Amino acid sequence: MRSSIKDDFMDDTIAFSKNHEEPLWFQKMREEALNHATELQLPIFEKISYRGWRLDHPKAPFAEANTDNSFDLPETNNLLVQNGDQTLVNKLDPKLSEQGVIFTDIWTALKDYPELVQKYFLATALKPAENKLVALNLALMNGGAFLYVPKNVKVDQSIQSIYLQDNSQQKDYVHHVLVVADQGSEVTYLENFLSQGDQADNIANIVVEVVAAANSRVHFSALDQFGQHVSTYINRHGYVGDNARLDWAIGLMNDSQVVGDFGTDLRGEGGHSEAKVVAITTGEQVSGIDTKITNYGQHTIGHILQHGVILQSSSLTFNGVGHIVKGARGSDAQQESRVLMLSRTARGDANPILLIDENDVTAGHAASVGRVNEEQMYYLMSRGIDQETAQRLVIRGFLSSVITEIPEKEVRVRLTDMIERKLINGQQK
Amino acid sequence: MSTLEVKDLHVSVVEEDETKGQEILKGVNLKMSTGEIHAIMGPNGTGKSTLSQAIMGNSAYKVTQGDVLLDGKSILDMPVDERARAGLFLAMQYPAEIAGVTNIEFMRAAINARRDENDQIPVMEFMKKLDEKQGILDMTDEMSERYLNEGFSGGEKKRNEILQLLMIEPKFAILDEIDSGLDIDALKVVSRGVNSMRGDNFGSLIITHYQRLLNYIIPDQVHVMMDGRIVKSGGPELAKKLEDEGYAGLRDDLGLDVKLTDEI
Repeated sequence: MRSSIKDDFMDDTIAFSKNHEEPLWFQKMREEALNHATELQLPIFEKISYRGWRLDHPKAPFAEANTDNSFDLPETNNLLVQNGDQTLVNKLDPKLSEQGVIFTDIWTALKDYPELVQKYFLATALKPAENKLVALNLALMNGGAFLYVPKNVKVDQSIQSIYLQDNSQQKDYVHHVLVVADQGSEVTYLENFLSQGDQADNIANIVVEVVAAANSRVHFSALDQFGQHVSTYINRHGYVGDNARLDWAIGLMNDSQVVGDFGTDLRGEGGHSEAKVVAITTGEQVSGIDTKITNYGQHTIGHILQHGVILQSSSLTFNGVGHIVKGARGSDAQQESRVLMLSRTARGDANPILLIDENDVTAGHAASVGRVNEEQMYYLMSRGIDQETAQRLVIRGFLSSVITEIPEKEVRVRLTDMIERKLINGQQK
Repeated sequence: MSTLEVKDLHVSVVEEDETKGQEILKGVNLKMSTGEIHAIMGPNGTGKSTLSQAIMGNSAYKVTQGDVLLDGKSILDMPVDERARAGLFLAMQYPAEIAGVTNIEFMRAAINARRDENDQIPVMEFMKKLDEKQGILDMTDEMSERYLNEGFSGGEKKRNEILQLLMIEPKFAILDEIDSGLDIDALKVVSRGVNSMRGDNFGSLIITHYQRLLNYIIPDQVHVMMDGRIVKSGGPELAKKLEDEGYAGLRDDLGLDVKLTDEI
């Protein structure tokens, strides 16, 4: 008889939890999640098929991390660098810590601020039983971070993290990030997932929760760079309270196969979220991105903008889901998803999905799947610009409507550089 | 001195899903050198734009016979970008719009495409040149900072084509109906730009319906095209004669059996 995940990993989970001196309630949460994981389903997305990736079959979640610390550190006062459960850098401007801002690895947070973590961890934005992969993320979590901004604190500098995924050996990457902006606070957060090594076929299971409490403003940016042999599930989920605003800017620059599960719940009245997603796929890569905003509160605004470029034999699917529930009067759901295919063997799909259960609302969608505009190419090349450079200019133009919307210049510049590099790689025959 | 020669050129337009196109050019012969300005005039639907697109290398136009030679060498096997780097420029009637790419960025890329990778144009040098050329065309920095042709009026697009011409400084520029849709003031500005290029190292082939533009850019030679061929060549006075007598008059003088598109 085949063994279950529970049988395989219960002892190791408990040992890992004790070893990291987690509070008992957290250890129990893990055990319960592991007990229930087998009963839960994998999340289902329109036109995205990833069952064969076996994301629910981890092999070695608790292997020791190899540390290879060769990466460029960004210039910032507020930085967390982690490789699994090892924290390599953790600094925070003293002015911010004096104001009560917390930015640490998850175990320090569990030890020093257990009430805060318990209040929000898989309790507000997501629940452990959300789906099988979220449950497994809790049970097998082997890395994580916590950012907390207290009431009415306005953080005027960016807070950044680099999360390294060890792909030099067989080791599942199970990472959990919890960002809480308490009432009336403001924060700008940037995270960068980065694979190191290209030796193993690993699973990466990422869950990021963002809580934007009433009247808060959160700018969340992500640059994802998972390596070729990783099968990746990335769940980013936001809770938006009364008159709060949560803006996402997500750059998917992975070489791995990815299923992106991005959701925002506009729970409070007058909440607002703008979700902007840019993706480039190359090689044989398969990516499916499902971005959903649900308007629960009255007078809420949810906008989704996704642009993707597909090179070589890769495939990319964008779902945009705008859901206005009954009672969310005066709400607005808009979305635009566009993909550009650069080769005959590239495959792309853009699916607009509007679910409207209330009459007094505004909603709209646009979607397209296209090829590089020949007229634009001819024009650029008629000025002497070679085909590949011309192609990159046309693509940059295509992606710019998303990029220019990202408020932080530094993120825009980094993303533009990454796009340029990824395109150059993708153009190589 | 450089030369551009069109020899017995036959061109068909390739429509989508068709293997055999309709023949538009039926044997065009033309030879010009740098230092000269040639004008091509002719009624609508006679193949003037087809000639310009075929020289530049637009893939929608298929050369079925003849040759195009730059400095004695055939360019028909060259892709568009290579022809441009070899010294050809086409000011288009309908330039493409590209959001997200600024005019400045585009022009720098075009200039740098002609230079060695280790010898790209310094920013200061580029900006100085841009300033000077914008001045000739009464253009502002604001226009150059905008996205390429996006939201430009018809007149602004034509001006922007000429700005690129002045920045790139090709050997030969083909101006495809650069005067269409321009009022008299804009026409003067655009002509001033083209005239500033005149000299031993620059030649231009100006395609137009009307003689008006040729009052401002005086050509060395005028060619009249009808039904896919050049039917008459002469000096600037030929343009004046056409203005007076019309294309039908010339056709009848020449005893040609050609139906003009717009003839009633």
